[in-house]
Amino acid sequence: MKRIAIDPVTRLEGHGRIEIFLNDEGDVANAYFIVPELRGFEQFCVGRPAEEMPRITDRICGVCPEAHHMASAKALDDLFKVDPPPAAKKLRELLYSAFYVADHTTHFYALAGPDFVMGPDAPPAERNILGVVRKVGLEIGKQVIDARIRNHQVIKLLGGRGVHPVAALPGGWSRPLAPADREGIEAVARQNVDFALFSLKLFEDLVLGNPQYVELILSDTFTHRTYSMGTVDANNRVNFYDGMIRVVDPEGAEFVKYHPREYASHIAEHCETWTYLKFPYLKAIGWKGLVDGKESGVYCATPLSRLNAADGMATPRAQEAYEKFYETLGSTRVNGRYQPVHFRLATHWARLVELLYAAERMLELATDPQITDPQVRAPITATPTEGVGSVEAPRGTLTHHYWTDERGILTRVNLIVGTTNNYAPIAMSVKKAAQGLIQKGTVITEGLLNRIEMGFRAYDPCFGCATHALPGQMPLEVVIRDVHGAEVQRLSQGIG
Amino acid sequence: MRTLVLGLGNPILTDDSVGVRVAEEVRAALAPRPETPVVVETASLGGLALMEMLIGYDRAILIDALCRADRAPGNLLRLSLRDIQALSPTERSVSPHDTSLGVALDLGQQMGLPLPEEIVIYAITVTDVLDFGDEPTPPVAAAIPAAVDAVLAEVLSPGEV
Repeated sequence: MKRIAIDPVTRLEGHGRIEIFLNDEGDVANAYFIVPELRGFEQFCVGRPAEEMPRITDRICGVCPEAHHMASAKALDDLFKVDPPPAAKKLRELLYSAFYVADHTTHFYALAGPDFVMGPDAPPAERNILGVVRKVGLEIGKQVIDARIRNHQVIKLLGGRGVHPVAALPGGWSRPLAPADREGIEAVARQNVDFALFSLKLFEDLVLGNPQYVELILSDTFTHRTYSMGTVDANNRVNFYDGMIRVVDPEGAEFVKYHPREYASHIAEHCETWTYLKFPYLKAIGWKGLVDGKESGVYCATPLSRLNAADGMATPRAQEAYEKFYETLGSTRVNGRYQPVHFRLATHWARLVELLYAAERMLELATDPQITDPQVRAPITATPTEGVGSVEAPRGTLTHHYWTDERGILTRVNLIVGTTNNYAPIAMSVKKAAQGLIQKGTVITEGLLNRIEMGFRAYDPCFGCATHALPGQMPLEVVIRDVHGAEVQRLSQGIG
Repeated sequence: MRTLVLGLGNPILTDDSVGVRVAEEVRAALAPRPETPVVVETASLGGLALMEMLIGYDRAILIDALCRADRAPGNLLRLSLRDIQALSPTERSVSPHDTSLGVALDLGQQMGLPLPEEIVIYAITVTDVLDFGDEPTPPVAAAIPAAVDAVLAEVLSPGEV
């Protein structure tokens, strides 16, 4: 048995590690995606007032603090049994839409884009956003940076602080939106819609216009037929901020739809000895291992699965993009809804459909007459006991669950973060990509390793979501070892 | 000359908070000198977002935790961007959710953004960045005063330190 490890060199350079075990024939026996454990979060929280949680939990993650802030705010609403006024809910969703635009933009252009624009076999020095700029033009870089900056300004304005918002309160929001500020946000939303349409066009031209990339997207290597999860509104359309959790089976039939408060009745967690992370699965199906199919309880919660779980998008242009997505990828309508798409690399396209939805929804909210209503807090009168809140984080359904004593002091905390939902599919994708690409006598090339990474990058994983990273990259060192751990080959990509 | 002092880290992740703590003490030390052209900020960011925070400054002093197996915790290092790139010498863009600071700065420069000409990094070697906690470990906490003095020496003229 040989072992290939894809290791980050230090903590500063990333948090994940891929281990690929080869059998004596040189084929892949197993592949694992492993991350270090962040310990003691529940102990850190217990004994603190619950209302501090939106400001504590948004420190868990340097990538999606806004998602934690929102899930926490909603858990506090539930805990204190208080329904925020309409303007407060809309302000939350407005901030959240701006966050989605910034986050999905970053992922597509800085992470997914290079794989497609430059190609998976491009030299690593070119396979980044600088390469995209060189190939597509300087204007694209300017648009990406502008989109990020203008939406971060909206988040700061609404959230009271950039990156780590502070405005959420149980039962509402800490301050109303001034009419003059609303005008600026509307202008940003209009720019976002144009930018999202531009991004979808770019995807069509560069990716769908290239038969090799289309073949890659449609290839069996990057296909998994699992259940799909996402939050839907009353009309079963995608919603990031609020709604019911819907799960559809691999053929697209609704398997279950439940209130986020009922998550524990539907989701269970499986443990493996080789990783501290637990694998969530559908309780009613059961854990059958890291396998595809209707008989396996493995589900996925990503942009792709959100589209699969819904019947459509709630805004007109995103709905058009949604229909084009399914029609182009060969899906047919059954019982009035498209059958799910299971090509994992199509997640990048699904992310752009969501980008357009977020931009359009932001514009709807920014032009809603209620958005500047000064009534943004509801009084709290109930004694707290237990509360659950959930939102769709960019990386999957995010659930916060708090228990308190009668004073609102936390006694127990449980979080299911977005990426955790996808741990089983990510492990399956890494293994399948490795099996398809490493075979007897195969020389390990950089492009090949990048394709294995592409298997998990589609999920936009965010495991070590407690720390920032100064260099912010995860260079690869590949070590092949025999069964005794002796090094037989070392490949260090770009390490000078 | 506008200088940004930026403490990086997660304030609730034990030693990872050290950069934030140093910056907060620098801010307190500079409070009686409002005429000093220095802005002090804290953030839990990397990559593009970090680059965007540097826009509009002539000089940036970053303070961050550094995990190094070959160094005891509590060592203070003064590094350049080149040094950081030597610690992380690949150009491979495989971070699951961001690009590197070097790539982000290159992009910003190509965009013509007004970015600092000089970036100094104070790194404090740490040991525990996996446990949630309010306080850094004792050797890391002990390094904070020297780091604060070093940053103040960078931003104040010799007679003011």
